Amino acid sequence: MQNDTISYDTLDSRPLPKWLTDQKSGVNTIQPQKITMKEDNSLKISFIATTIIILVAVSFLTFYILRKHKDQA
Amino acid sequence: MKAVYYRTIILASLICLACTTRVSEWVLLNALPDQYTLIYFHKNPVTETVKKQNKEVVDGMKTANIHFKTVARNDVSESWYGLYYEERLFIRFKTLPETKNIISSPLREKISSELMSGKLCVMVYLLTDNREKDDTGRKTLQKALGASPFGSIISVVELSRNSKEESIFASLLLNVEDDLKDIREPMLFGVFGRFKALEPLLGKGITEENINLMIDYLTSECSCLIKDDLPGTDILFNGNWDNPAPALLNTIIDSNPALGL
Repeated sequence: MQNDTISYDTLDSRPLPKWLTDQKSGVNTIQPQKITMKEDNSLKISFIATTIIILVAVSFLTFYILRKHKDQA
Repeated sequence: MKAVYYRTIILASLICLACTTRVSEWVLLNALPDQYTLIYFHKNPVTETVKKQNKEVVDGMKTANIHFKTVARNDVSESWYGLYYEERLFIRFKTLPETKNIISSPLREKISSELMSGKLCVMVYLLTDNREKDDTGRKTLQKALGASPFGSIISVVELSRNSKEESIFASLLLNVEDDLKDIREPMLFGVFGRFKALEPLLGKGITEENINLMIDYLTSECSCLIKDDLPGTDILFNGNWDNPAPALLNTIIDSNPALGL
C-alpha cells in the first residue's frame, strides 16, 4: 500500500503502482544466474604443483642414492 | 544418519516446491491477511449498555481480520468508532449500527467463494456511474480477458462506488491508496489470495497491456522477492480460508507448459 503517494499535477502523471512497474521492468520474474568470467589460475597452479613434486622426488632420490653409495663404500 | 538424509531430501523438495508455486496460489495458502482495528473513542466512562453493545460486536468479529479496542481521550466531544488499517483511518462511524456490515457483504462473500473455488483472481471493476467512462474500461477488460489464456479462471465483478449495500466494501477499496477517493475514474482492482487487493489500474491506465501485466504478476512463479514485499491491501472480511480448492491455474499450465514460463 502506498501511504505516501507522491504528489502529481494531472492524472496522467500519477505514478503507476509499484507491482506494475516491477512487472514491466521484469524485477518480479526470477532472474537467471549471471555468468561472469573468472581468472583461470588452474594452469599456473598445475605447473607449480608439478615443479614441487619433481623437486621433492629428485631431492629424495638424490639423498637416497648418495646415502646408499656412502654405505657401500 | 538415514533420518538426516531423508530430512534433507524432504526439505530440498519443499524449497523447490515453494519456488514453483504461483503467486496467486502461494498467497492464498500462506499469506495471512493483515489486521484492521476498530477503535471506540470516548471521553466519558463507558456505560454498561455501550459495553454490552461493543461486546456483541466483538463477538461477531472473531473470525475476521480485525480486532477491537477502546480508547479514552479528552479531546473527544462525541464518542465515535474508527476503522484503522496500518495506523490509517479508513472509515469513521458515528454510531455502532453503522458498523453492521463492516466485516462482510454479499459481494465480498461472492468474491471469497470465487477465490476459494480455485480461480486465479477476481477483478473488481469499480464504476464511476459515468456510463461513457465505465464502458470504455469495461470493453478493454472484456477484450483483454477474452484474449488471455487465463481468462476462464478470472472472475469479474462490478461495483458502483455509490452503492449503498456495498458502501463499506467500496470505501475499503478506495482506501487501498490514499488519493483514490478524489479520483473520479473507473478503477480495476485485482483481488487475490485471502482478499488482497492490488493497487488499481485506473482511467486510461486500464489497458490491455496493463491487464495482461496484472495477470502475468499473479501467474508468475513466487520468488522470494515477491514474498518479502507483497503489494496490495488486505480487505476486511469475515472469511474461512481453510482448504481452498486446487488452483485452476495449475491445470492450464500443466496442459500447456509454455504458459508457465
